[in-house]
Amino acid sequence: MLRSLTKSLWLLGFAVVLTCGIYPLILWGIGQSFFPFQANGSIVNGPDGKPVGSLLVAQPFTKNEYFWPRPSAASYDGTASASSALAVSNYTLRDRVARSIAPVATYGGGPKKGQPVAADVEAWFQADKYGGQSGIVAQWAEAHNSLAQAWVTADPTHAAYVDGWSKAHPDIVADFVKANPGTSQPKAGDLAVVFFEHFSKDHPGMFPSAVIHKDTKGSDVTAIEPVKDGSDIQSTFFLMWREEHPDAQLQDVPADYVTASGSGLDPDITLENAEFQLDRVAGQWAQDLKRDPAQVKREIEGILQQHVIRPGGGLFGEPIVNVLEINLTLRNRYGAPS
Amino acid sequence: MWTLPILLLALTILLSIPLSRYFAWVMDGQLKSPGPIAWIEARLNSGKQNWKQYVIAMLAFTAVLFVYGYAVLCLQPVAPLNPLGRGILAPSTIFNTVISFMTNTNLQHYAGDQHLSNFSQIFFILPNMFLSASIGFCALTAIIRAFRGEALVGNFFVDMWRVVFYIYLPASLIIGCIFMHEGMPMTYASERTVTTLEPAAMGTDNQGQAKPQNIIVGPVAATIPIKMLGTNGGGFYGMNSAHPLENPTALSNFVTTFAMMIFPFSLVLMYGRMLGRIRHSVVIYCVMLAMMIGLIWWTVDWDTLRPNPAFTGTATAQNYEIADASARRGRRTITLPAVASLPVEQHLGNLEGKELRFGTSAGAVFAAVTTDVTCGAVNAEHDSLNPIASLAPFIGMWLNCVFGGKGVGMINLLLFLIVGVFLAGQMVGRSPEYLGRKVGAREMKLAVIALLVHPFLILGPSGLFAATDWGTKAESNAGPHGFSQIVYQYSSSSANNGSAFDGLGVTYGFNDNANPAPEAVPLDIGTGLVMLFSRYLPIIAPIAMAFFLGRKKVAPASLGTMRDDTATFGFLLLGTILIIGALLFLPVAALGPLAEQLGPIPFGG
Repeated sequence: MLRSLTKSLWLLGFAVVLTCGIYPLILWGIGQSFFPFQANGSIVNGPDGKPVGSLLVAQPFTKNEYFWPRPSAASYDGTASASSALAVSNYTLRDRVARSIAPVATYGGGPKKGQPVAADVEAWFQADKYGGQSGIVAQWAEAHNSLAQAWVTADPTHAAYVDGWSKAHPDIVADFVKANPGTSQPKAGDLAVVFFEHFSKDHPGMFPSAVIHKDTKGSDVTAIEPVKDGSDIQSTFFLMWREEHPDAQLQDVPADYVTASGSGLDPDITLENAEFQLDRVAGQWAQDLKRDPAQVKREIEGILQQHVIRPGGGLFGEPIVNVLEINLTLRNRYGAPS
Repeated sequence: MWTLPILLLALTILLSIPLSRYFAWVMDGQLKSPGPIAWIEARLNSGKQNWKQYVIAMLAFTAVLFVYGYAVLCLQPVAPLNPLGRGILAPSTIFNTVISFMTNTNLQHYAGDQHLSNFSQIFFILPNMFLSASIGFCALTAIIRAFRGEALVGNFFVDMWRVVFYIYLPASLIIGCIFMHEGMPMTYASERTVTTLEPAAMGTDNQGQAKPQNIIVGPVAATIPIKMLGTNGGGFYGMNSAHPLENPTALSNFVTTFAMMIFPFSLVLMYGRMLGRIRHSVVIYCVMLAMMIGLIWWTVDWDTLRPNPAFTGTATAQNYEIADASARRGRRTITLPAVASLPVEQHLGNLEGKELRFGTSAGAVFAAVTTDVTCGAVNAEHDSLNPIASLAPFIGMWLNCVFGGKGVGMINLLLFLIVGVFLAGQMVGRSPEYLGRKVGAREMKLAVIALLVHPFLILGPSGLFAATDWGTKAESNAGPHGFSQIVYQYSSSSANNGSAFDGLGVTYGFNDNANPAPEAVPLDIGTGLVMLFSRYLPIIAPIAMAFFLGRKKVAPASLGTMRDDTATFGFLLLGTILIIGALLFLPVAALGPLAEQLGPIPFGG
């Protein structure tokens, strides 16, 4: 037994020298001499000559001039890769995807072919009827408690708005505490469903949303107020609108435009997805540069084709493009977006 | 679509033939070590051991490795190579992690990119990956020698060293170079900071400044080759081989998948070569290959060739009959309204949780292979697989012998084989034989004990955790999928696999974390114990069985002897595995993945 222990220590010692010392050093030497770009993270420089990102790690883009990467469950944080880990049967997945479709949803057929859906969603929302009953917001909060709570906790201003409401309605809070003796000091998140039920009654056809005002000095102030239209309503209630209009023909959105990747840092999108975004991107550059949109579109189309990547030489799958590579090319060619 | 799995299987089969010859050459001691290496071997050599001494040496070394691993992880806050100032992990997480890497499981209740310094990556992860992978290899070698009738089965320490030095090290160096060429980092630095092209999109910090993007780098190209070759599977980054710096291109993904298959494939042939029964091992190889092809096909067919059902909707209202004691005849029907489809173009299959650069079917193929060979690396989120496709990873882990981990997969198959031989013997009324030796009551007992450890350690804890807060509070998805998450965690632990349904709340994080996952501690301890028991019992019992069988006299083959190198024998083996597997695990499969796919989607609010 003792002999086994001493031999074990010898084996561990030799193994540590070999696998922690010599082995990584050899690879480090080879990597730094022959593949210095890759071995240090595939970092590329921006127009100002400073590091702008890794070609292998997705970064966020929101401007219309740029192609947008896939949604990220990691918020594009290079220190914390993450997938959504949402099961197929999880309602949150459907909800998230519907929210990303909503701003770009258009009719794919019928009399309104090519027109955006958003205005119809707003008109339907203002009528405030779902499943034959009034109170869309109340029904939404009751059916999906976690979504209502997520709205409250998503932003400190949301929570503050609910806190303000609960201070103004102590009787409702008292009723809530009576019904839920476990929660004697309800926080804003606990009251989310109750809040939305009353909000729906007090403000039919409205939803709380951020509104920008000018204060007395003329600077912008953001406040949460009941509103009748806007992007929050379009995205939050697109899914319920869809449930009531299952037969409306809608234009399909590429799957990778709305699905989160495994790492949250997928640097690529499919070429199909890039083509889907091309009109928006080309249109915005044409507007910035005051040039002919068709011509700009042709140029960008050329850039896409030039940078297309075919996995495994085309043997394994669909052509893709690297988002940072394309956007950097656009930036270098057309200058800074306005 | 199918090009990727076909090329992968073809290349692996082709290369496993010469590699198995090399392995047998090294392990049979025909390879003479040059001077300095011979000196090291002489220092390690404690003389030839019988099976008990061999097992004791293995356990003693494991104990040393455990203490070493614990010490290294505890030293993280004060050790060098820690510019990001990572603190100490929670004690239960250290316990879990040390066992996980010592047992070749690599279940990770932490995220490498968030919780480990480069010191821990190099001094904890690397040696554990090399050494724990070698233990299974050596156990198989000992079993082969015992089957050959050798009373002394070799020296554990010399075997370990030879496996590490002559097999894992050169292969890791070659594959590491390919990985670096494809874009994997290899540096002792920890982080690169960049200002992104559209800085405002990154969000702002407390001072209202645009946040930079911090990118974790490190000695990635050193850990990943051995992670795959040793079927370890513990990622440098939290999202493992889905992370673009851990798996940069379609080619790196191909090599990654190949690297985890090649050694388990070769070891089956090595078994035949060292026993002088190459035809017998080819039959076993074909049985394993048939199961693997089936599981790959199943995953690709259900996940890559079909859309994510969350977006397709159901056109008509669905009726479900459920048990209800208060209703008439004890059942009542609930009706769920139709679900509208979402306008998503899904010709590439289910893309939630998949990366695009590997190729269309790469996520599904990887999911099947990684659980067959008990690697446990993932290049897609298994939680988001189409539920019925996720049955294949489950089956791979439940059977645990579809090539399996290095050495232990072959050992597990031997257990099924002994049971199969016994069943066949019962059918024809002859006493069962294997390798010309009669299988007696003692060998049967040892085989069945080793075989039953696995289902016992999956089903027991899964039931316990599914019934208590320990499991239910950790689930991140409702309904049958939440149950699947718990079963997956224990299947993965018991199969020493290490992949996970990542939504399950298992991460405590650093010891000073104010908001750990609520049930992280019971899950740390539960899975830690399961990994420990499911690793060593199924290694020790078969070594004993091989010894008792090996010392018996070889009876000359006669007309009535069942031949073990024919297709008939292959079907007998396949049937035994499938029937035993189904008897043990079908009920769980029905409650988890099958219920999810056939039940309402979406499930609940």
